[in-house]
Amino acid sequence: MSGHTRTLAAITAASLALGLALTGCGTGDDDSGGSSAVLHVWGGNATPLDNDFNPFHIDTAQKATFGPIYEPLFFYNQLSSEPPVPLIGESFEYSEDGMALTVTIKPDQKWSDGTALTADDVAFTFTYGTNKASDLISAEATDATTVVFTYTQPQFTAAPLTLGNTFIVPEHIWSGIDDYMGQLNSEPVGSGPYTLKTFSTAAYTIEANKNFREELPAVTEVQYVGLDGNQSSQDLLATGQLDWVGQFVANPEVLTDGGVLSTLNLQQDPTVVMTCSSAALGCSGPQTDVAVRQAISAALDRGTIREKAFAGLAAEGNPAFLLLPRDQSWLADDALSQSPQDPDVATAGEILEAAGYVKDADGFYGKNGEAIDLDLFSPDGWTDYNDAAKLISEQAAEAGIKITARTVSDAEYWTPLANGDFQLALYGLTASLQSDPYSTYQQYFYGASTAEVDSEPQNGGQNYARYSNPTVDVAVVAAGATADEAVKQRAYATIQAEIARDLPYIPVVLNASQSFFNSKDFTGWPSADDLYAMPLPYSSVASGIVLRHLAPAK
Amino acid sequence: MTYYIRRIAFYVVTLWAAISLNFLLPRLLPGDPADIIIGKLRRASGGRPIPQEVIDAIRALLGTKDGSMWDQYLAYWGRLLHGDLGVSSSRYPVPVADLIAQALPWTIALVGTATIISFALGIIVGAWVGWRRGTWFDHLVPVTTVFQSIPYFWLALVLVAIFAVNLGLFPIVGGYDFFAFPDGPEASWAFVQSAAYHAVLPALTIVLSSVGGWLLGMRNMMVSTLSEDYIVIAEAKGLRPSRIRSRYAARNAAIPSYAGFGIALGFVVAGSIVMEQVFSYPGIGKLMIQSVQSLDYSLMQGVFLVITVAVLGANFIMDIVYGFIDPRARHDD
Repeated sequence: MSGHTRTLAAITAASLALGLALTGCGTGDDDSGGSSAVLHVWGGNATPLDNDFNPFHIDTAQKATFGPIYEPLFFYNQLSSEPPVPLIGESFEYSEDGMALTVTIKPDQKWSDGTALTADDVAFTFTYGTNKASDLISAEATDATTVVFTYTQPQFTAAPLTLGNTFIVPEHIWSGIDDYMGQLNSEPVGSGPYTLKTFSTAAYTIEANKNFREELPAVTEVQYVGLDGNQSSQDLLATGQLDWVGQFVANPEVLTDGGVLSTLNLQQDPTVVMTCSSAALGCSGPQTDVAVRQAISAALDRGTIREKAFAGLAAEGNPAFLLLPRDQSWLADDALSQSPQDPDVATAGEILEAAGYVKDADGFYGKNGEAIDLDLFSPDGWTDYNDAAKLISEQAAEAGIKITARTVSDAEYWTPLANGDFQLALYGLTASLQSDPYSTYQQYFYGASTAEVDSEPQNGGQNYARYSNPTVDVAVVAAGATADEAVKQRAYATIQAEIARDLPYIPVVLNASQSFFNSKDFTGWPSADDLYAMPLPYSSVASGIVLRHLAPAK
Repeated sequence: MTYYIRRIAFYVVTLWAAISLNFLLPRLLPGDPADIIIGKLRRASGGRPIPQEVIDAIRALLGTKDGSMWDQYLAYWGRLLHGDLGVSSSRYPVPVADLIAQALPWTIALVGTATIISFALGIIVGAWVGWRRGTWFDHLVPVTTVFQSIPYFWLALVLVAIFAVNLGLFPIVGGYDFFAFPDGPEASWAFVQSAAYHAVLPALTIVLSSVGGWLLGMRNMMVSTLSEDYIVIAEAKGLRPSRIRSRYAARNAAIPSYAGFGIALGFVVAGSIVMEQVFSYPGIGKLMIQSVQSLDYSLMQGVFLVITVAVLGANFIMDIVYGFIDPRARHDD
């Protein structure tokens, strides 16, 4: 009858022993990380990391795939209006009509496995997998360093995508692979400054690529870690265990006061209230009336939204959707250089009354006895968006427009947007990669980039607002078919006037993107005076450029 | 002996039912989960066609419009018996079985150990508190239950802020020191030390937040057991108090806790979602939450299957053990 006591005693002994073991080994590895020249980075990935370095997995491959390991032909710095920086490529030239593109690449390049990188690899890349454009006729290597592309349409505006965002892959490896999406590509062979050294589900390390065509990076090893939350990364930054992170921190002084970390906050991407704007394409609700959209825009107190919802870190947006001052030369009308930052309730009321709306007993505008009642959603947990939505709802109410803000799960956010099954949604657009707003206008405002409600935009179109305006469509086509700046300027002026009036996307702010980096142990980071690349570790291509500029501090 | 045969038969039937339910559930969901996954894969692959083998594999696991339910059911069992749980759609093309295999050892080691520590601590201390009822020992009950009622998330964050960030005594994140072991887990004493060191704070949060329940239950059972007649007789016989406490009172008072322990052990495999998030600790819990957030049905099905099997397995073992500990449980044969 003593079996039970013995069991208990055994458990006690075991747990005591374990407790001792647990507390006993708190010493020993205090000097890990520390002084060595390994750069520790968090690219925003949660654990477990997947051993995925497939450049065709745009969303899910590890961050080091794009830039450090694989490279495009040229680097387009979205922070400047300078010409692109040559990477694999050396120069490119369009034919007169824009239907042919000749690219010369640098001579004597090698893949990280030692094989020669030639124009054949480049030509192969553009005819392989998702890289093959629908309007491409052929891509031919005419000699070891020259590739000639021919197209069915003028390509003047496609350069940032073709040259700056297509990752060149080795033909000798990928030509034998049919199912390029089904690959993890865990032993990547690339042309970039780094190659994969070791991988685990908690972290992976890249090291300098000995076959790199240019000077080897001074930081010879970079470790990317996986973390499940912003708080963890903030704690690791504060204790000096991480060197480079791009994330939102409401009070950045806490991190930078120590003198080790520096921060840059670059505002780029417009946060907007996206509206399902076209009744003709199947949208329903008061927001299909342009007067309602204009009234909402007039009612917004954008200054307060910036301060309260975005912790004062966001910047002022503009209704022309240009990135200023970079795109200053494309701004047709100075009145469009900034969205109004203060609310104008009177104007909002006038717009609605002119359009035949009347105030009801509760103080809300309506038409034909039916009050405007709009639904605005944002993804749950995106706290800046959620707070902004609440403020927008309150500010619209001041002007007599009823907007109900709610939050939805991630899964419930994307599907209604893609299918057009929404009224208003808080949404983020992306600024164009180069100093030319063509891609913004083409992706978000062009009629061919949208679809009827209940179907999704095709061919990479992201006009989820269902905006369809023949005047804009003609101007987009005209801008895409020319290399003549004056013609483009006229086309953009038309587009800017139309979209600033129609407001399918109501600008709210330019969202902040904060980066934090260890400027004590590493030098060469981008600064406000020298924005040679976007200093975000998850930023495609740019992260590889930043790594090449870094050096351990002496 | 018939007791054990009956129990085994019962568990075989339950296991079969649970696995079959796992087969049925995705097929009962509104919409076609297989279509959703294939659609997601299409989007992830830039609208390109997906190889037929992948489509066949997804259909076999999640249901197909053609072929009878019976054929699908057989195909499902066939795949399961080969250990094939399909391909994750949110982490395409990583196999679900690989994801679970990577996470499971961490979860079992940490959450399992913490659950055992918490249970042992609760039972031992609870027995003492019950034995010394009415003295200052009783204060332990409200203290531990307060820890249990503190939001788990907050408790973990406070522990990190104090012990890891401010005092620097413990690491902030991870299952091991990935700065010192960039190659991943290895079979060395240094690695085991590192893993144990990294487990302290996560284990402490689990123990702190669960020990109160065991302690309270044990203390109360102890109090009611101590008023039983056989305790009075034992005292009348003049047995040593320590013998009465451990062999007469505690042994009987602990029996209801064992049943609860069996269930708690089963749920170990489900991991501890909040702890894993706060400490970026590897484990099953985050796979579960990630799969639900991204509607990754194959991963969800795989995780649920493992949890179901583990709960059943733990209950089965506890049933067997229970039969040993408390002969009354198998008396009705």
